[in-house]
Amino acid sequence: MSENPTSGSQVSTDSPRKSNLNFRGLLAYRGTSTASAELLMAVCAFCGFFLVWYAIVAFGIVPERFLPFPDAVVKALWGMFATNNFIEDVGISITRVWGAFILSVIMAVPIGIWMGSYRVVGAIIEPIVDFIRYLPVPALVPLLIIWFGIGESSKVAVLWMGTFFQLVLLIADDSKRIPREYIEIGYTLGARPSQITKDIVFRSMMPNMVDNLRITLGWCWTWIIVAEIVASKSGIGHVIWSMRRFLKTPEIMAGILTVGVIGLVSDQIIRILARRIFRYL
Amino acid sequence: MSDTAPFVRVSGVSKIFDGDRAHGSIHVIDNVSMDIGTGEFVVYLGPSGCGKTTLMRIVGGLETATDGIVDLAGERVTGPDRHKGMVFQAYTSFPWLTVYENILFGTKYRTDINDTEKAEVSRHYLDLVGLGEFSEFFVNRISGGMRQRVAIARTLAAGPDILLMDEPFGALDAQTREFLQVQLLEISRIEKKAVIFVTHDVEEAVFLADRIFIFSARPATIVEEVPVKDTIPGRRTLETKETEEFFHLRNHVRNVMLAQTKAMEMIDVPTGDAE
Repeated sequence: MSENPTSGSQVSTDSPRKSNLNFRGLLAYRGTSTASAELLMAVCAFCGFFLVWYAIVAFGIVPERFLPFPDAVVKALWGMFATNNFIEDVGISITRVWGAFILSVIMAVPIGIWMGSYRVVGAIIEPIVDFIRYLPVPALVPLLIIWFGIGESSKVAVLWMGTFFQLVLLIADDSKRIPREYIEIGYTLGARPSQITKDIVFRSMMPNMVDNLRITLGWCWTWIIVAEIVASKSGIGHVIWSMRRFLKTPEIMAGILTVGVIGLVSDQIIRILARRIFRYL
Repeated sequence: MSDTAPFVRVSGVSKIFDGDRAHGSIHVIDNVSMDIGTGEFVVYLGPSGCGKTTLMRIVGGLETATDGIVDLAGERVTGPDRHKGMVFQAYTSFPWLTVYENILFGTKYRTDINDTEKAEVSRHYLDLVGLGEFSEFFVNRISGGMRQRVAIARTLAAGPDILLMDEPFGALDAQTREFLQVQLLEISRIEKKAVIFVTHDVEEAVFLADRIFIFSARPATIVEEVPVKDTIPGRRTLETKETEEFFHLRNHVRNVMLAQTKAMEMIDVPTGDAE
């Protein structure tokens, strides 16, 4: 066999002299980096962020009443968990987000693939979806509350409106982007369209799809806060909004930070899982 | 081929692609007929974009002829199925599967054999293309030449009657290409399956073919049928390329091709005195 099993560029041959952090690669135009170097940079970025924040308050650039010290926010967060039963609100928001998100996904994935597979389905659904997805979701909130009341269903409806119509188009695009040769290979191996969809199209588009799901899950957190601020007796958005009445900026910021942390953590979990499942990438 | 019943019969095939307002319709193939024998290795040669791939796709059922019919093993071709195996120029082995799993995928929709037999068939073709030791590799970890061998093995695993190959070695470097040409000849000798191989590479055509059909510029018609096997009989190796017969035949085919390419490009190419 005269061929190499692997192309050279994929094999990293770090010389032992080179530091594991590889700063030169980080600085070079389109250079390379290592996981530990990236982690260090991320930690530095967060430290810098808090340092600047601290300095702005410490030098009185912004009055403390409007922008509390970082440690005050942490203390507020602690207090909320310890005495205000904040964990329950967090749980409620997470449940709403995931419930609505899963509903969107269950509907958008098959419909999107269907749109990508048959021109007639795409031609019928796409114009409607395109129109609806440009409607501003916050403007629909009053209508959705009239329709669904202020219970859980109205929150699900807001999140669903805000994600389904975007997601279905992304999924349709993903499925359309499968190389035509893949489909034709399916036919010449004796597969029927339904088998091609299941065994080739769906399998092939999965990595892109997971990326799109991650982005969409992020939007859910925007819409849930909107929904909970407008009409809710619970959830992180409700807590943030009720703290406003007492001008409790540390608590408001603690609530916002909580959303950020939840988003970051869930995104990382999905990425790690995806790396496991898509070992071949 | 003087067989009484040809394996593939193409009769009076024409193809016109319906155009839109911007492009108009394109006449791609004009009244082409040919017979291909059992186990025969046929090469379609012609200038790029002349319609030779379209003709092969019509034989494979992936494209329908505007006019004319194709019969394969006595049956009318109406659409694609596993009896007409395809290998493309683009890498079509699936990145989410390993080398072995890709080949096994070729047997996935077969109903004529059971799971044990499917595994046996896949192992057999894995070894035939010489990838045994790479069976657990994901296909994006192996070279382009290896990916094409996976594609060939996967197609063979489906148990096709004919192998349709659309410039399968077009994206490979010259050395890998030669290596795979020799391997393909071996495989077709062992498998005794009819092959239609599309290329615009004259040397590749002469080296592989029992018979070459040289096509004109669009709309494609058969300009010349070259019975390579009559001039170069027997098994071929890389040394075959050094022989006088090969040299003469190649020059002849090249000159026919050059005239067609000129017609396609509408430019004057100075002809060197090759013969």
